[in-house]
Amino acid sequence: MGTENMAIHNAFIGLSLLVCILIPWGSFSEAELIQTLLPKNMPEEWVQRDAAEMFTKQTLFEHIDGQADLFLQYGFEKSVFATYQDKKTREKKIDLDIYDMGNVLQAFGIFSRFRNEDRPAGIGLDSSVGDHYAFFYKGKYFVVLQSTGSSSSDVQQLAMAVDSRIADNSQPPREISYFPESRIKSGSIEYFPEGLLGHQFLGRGFKATYIETDDANAKGESETFSRDSNLFIAVFENSQEAIRSLKLYHEDLSRKGVCQMGTSSQFGPNTLTGKDPYQGKVIIAHKGHYLVGAIGFENEKHVQDQLSQLIKRIKQKPCGMYQVAK
Amino acid sequence: MFFTKIGRRRFITSASSAFLGVAVAPFLNARSTWAKTEKMATPEYRILGKTGLRVTAVAMGVMNCSDPAVLHRAYDLGVNFYDTANVYMAGKNEEMVGKVFRGKRDKVLIQTKIRFKPTEQENRESIETSLRRLQTDYVDVLLWHALQTPEEVANPEAFEFMQKLKKEGKVRFHGFSSHSDMASLLREGAKSSVHDVALVSYNFTHSNELKEAVGIAAKSGIGVVAMKTQAGGYKTEKIGSLSPHQAALRIVLTDHNVSTAIPGVTTIEQIDECAAVMGTELSREDLGSLDQYHSYLHGRICTMCGGCIGACPHGVAHSDLLRAVMYRDAYQDDRLVHEMFDDEDRRQKIRQCAECSSCFVRCRRGLDIHAQLRSVHTMLL
Repeated sequence: MGTENMAIHNAFIGLSLLVCILIPWGSFSEAELIQTLLPKNMPEEWVQRDAAEMFTKQTLFEHIDGQADLFLQYGFEKSVFATYQDKKTREKKIDLDIYDMGNVLQAFGIFSRFRNEDRPAGIGLDSSVGDHYAFFYKGKYFVVLQSTGSSSSDVQQLAMAVDSRIADNSQPPREISYFPESRIKSGSIEYFPEGLLGHQFLGRGFKATYIETDDANAKGESETFSRDSNLFIAVFENSQEAIRSLKLYHEDLSRKGVCQMGTSSQFGPNTLTGKDPYQGKVIIAHKGHYLVGAIGFENEKHVQDQLSQLIKRIKQKPCGMYQVAK
Repeated sequence: MFFTKIGRRRFITSASSAFLGVAVAPFLNARSTWAKTEKMATPEYRILGKTGLRVTAVAMGVMNCSDPAVLHRAYDLGVNFYDTANVYMAGKNEEMVGKVFRGKRDKVLIQTKIRFKPTEQENRESIETSLRRLQTDYVDVLLWHALQTPEEVANPEAFEFMQKLKKEGKVRFHGFSSHSDMASLLREGAKSSVHDVALVSYNFTHSNELKEAVGIAAKSGIGVVAMKTQAGGYKTEKIGSLSPHQAALRIVLTDHNVSTAIPGVTTIEQIDECAAVMGTELSREDLGSLDQYHSYLHGRICTMCGGCIGACPHGVAHSDLLRAVMYRDAYQDDRLVHEMFDDEDRRQKIRQCAECSSCFVRCRRGLDIHAQLRSVHTMLL
């Protein structure tokens, strides 16, 4: 064996050894990671009460009862729970749950289902903070803090301590940025892993709420009237699946509501318009792996403009996360 | 059995269809389809124990539902009983229920749940928050959420608090929900006789002990509400005239000690499927299909009911591996099975189980556990 071959051979053995050492360590550290996210350096008066509890897909139910179903739907992997208590005022305590949701899409999804109003506090990728609670997501983690007797600032301080310990720097799902900003209800974008708009055939996707005002209001006249409408993006494996789903929606509306399907000068072929008996007027267009649409609106001109903007912003295929998030 | 019904919502829809046809037609080159009247099941009513409330046999577990359209649909189908809780989606779930049924409050029955907290003030805050979110002055049924022990069921403080709320008119009836040791809790509920309603997991996989306890509770006047009626959800083909979902629901409703079932639904299609069970008379053929389905499940599907007898002599946690059987057969989701065995430790265990000749674990429902684990192993090869 030549010197060069020997060097390659040695390098290969070295690499193999390194892999053998790193893989189990990686698995081990990954398994341990979620517990290490619990803050250690707390303000002086706060202490962690009891040992932290870990929960898995099998045991989450014991911790949060029926709500576990929702977390499992969003790809829950594991979680850690700990209670922090004020040493001086023992009634003051904060319960902290850190949920590993598998990826940032699912973490955003579950966050979006819990976020009640848009009360961001600059924690994680997005957050919602109230008097007695804070939720945020960062990377694949969804974090919930709920307090008894303690102040909002205590909760936020603890939330920020957790935030600083999460090293996962994944970006938010790109579809969030596709929604036009004008008239969007802040903090209203939600992700559903199934049953978008309450329809099984639409599968997974995003929904955002928009505030629609009538023309009089837009012109600043005294009589005001506003209502909510939605834009949505349904995400599919491929273009054929998207069209198949659109046809199913067409069939459903034909049975229950009223609809037209055909070519729109604005949105191209495979455009469906109609009226859903439970959600009002609907327009759906097809673009690649996506169906995009508006529902529950009154002002058609305005909604068509918004939909055009939304369609223009879609430039990429859905990312790989949807394969596991299905 | 079925009849044609045009609800108020449908009438409005039909009336407004003409407008839409005119409004959207100019930018579409297409053929228009007009609304058709649907067939809807006749609601089937039962009495919710001593409350005397007339509830639909199929109600709705709102917990994981986020779309108001599904609630509107349930209402149109005649469903009149809706279950939520203050913790679901941090209160968003109650808010949605409140918003959807604003103006229809007297036509629906709302059940919500709160957790028992140490002080009356905290409990009071919980119910006041729920009432605010639900946009109502009262709830029809308020439950203590997820009780775990008979002592909690008999807790006099909890009872006194509920009595106060009743007197104040904020709660019409009260009770408890439970996911664990349910037979004992139902028996305690029957004995202590302070609760009006009990919400328990109840489906075809549960034991005779629970069935008996449901009977005892119902006879004592407790209105029994069944949840987790489909035991995990079945996506398989139809058996006879009922889908497996419907068959599972029908099995629960066959027990007349159950006042109502609250399958958790998230889509319009699911509530359609569940509500269609109401008012159906089971034909001899259906009964045969149900028997067939029941026996099919009996020997074949692990529903993680916890009824395993015996333990592995080699210390393998078989219940963890059985989850794969549930994923494959009940959820029909091979992806979950493969994900589960991404873990080398589990792969090793399933291999060990498949090759083992000394399996002592037995299923009280007749499932051949060893054969099932072997088949999962084969699937992974």
